[in-house]
Amino acid sequence: MATTTREVKTPANYEKFAWKWMRYSALLLIPLVWGHVILQDVVVGVHNMNLGYVAERWASIFWRGFDALLLAFAFAHGINGVRQVFNDFIHGEQARRVLFVVLFIFWLAVSLIGLIALVAGVNQQFPLNP
Amino acid sequence: MASLVTTLSGYLGYRGREGHWSFLLHRITGLGTGLFLTIHILDTSFVYFAPNLYMEAIKIYQSTLAGLGEIVLVFCVFYHGINGLRIAYFDMFAPKNWAIPSERKTFWWTLALSLALWLPSAGIMLFNLLKNNYGLFGG
Repeated sequence: MATTTREVKTPANYEKFAWKWMRYSALLLIPLVWGHVILQDVVVGVHNMNLGYVAERWASIFWRGFDALLLAFAFAHGINGVRQVFNDFIHGEQARRVLFVVLFIFWLAVSLIGLIALVAGVNQQFPLNP
Repeated sequence: MASLVTTLSGYLGYRGREGHWSFLLHRITGLGTGLFLTIHILDTSFVYFAPNLYMEAIKIYQSTLAGLGEIVLVFCVFYHGINGLRIAYFDMFAPKNWAIPSERKTFWWTLALSLALWLPSAGIMLFNLLKNNYGLFGG
């Protein structure tokens, strides 16, 4: 089937930035998320998880950095995805602005909670309870 | 409200075959993964804010119901990733592929690749679940 394509100039606004963000972050998320899921869910398994496991994992600056990247990229990708889905249902300009602010605050709050825990680490005296 | 009804009835009634299924699966797997991710960030933050609650959360994740959900989650992650790569590749490098024949063909490839990655993972997770929760395979 023959198709025709044409090039159009798109304005450099927030939507264009978000569109690119979804695609570029996806490239990074493939190794990050798949690596995380295959390692934690399949190889290690949830039955081997406890506070000691997290403490041991976060003793490594590499894994803390890995988790920081996951937190930053995966959650922002997800929140923008939710925004796109809501935009299919909400058409008013005012309502979309409210949605944007609500999602932004939600993203910021959950990201900060995650970041504080990631920096502060496991909060228990050694030896850790199993 | 009207836009909600229009959108939802479009989700169910639109007869776009593979292209539409691909869109629906991408949304459902994305929203599902996002919902879990939100819960997962918060339960992991318990290691600092409430270490005892962290162990309660892990106990819930070790239950059979959560284990089955975890297996579904891993499919969502694989499908959403491969389909996302397909979308990014088409959008940025090969927009000519946004045509019905290649959309249909690549939908099936995406599904096949997702299943090829998911089935071995699902098998291992099911094995661990049966071993730890039901004492099978010498657990």
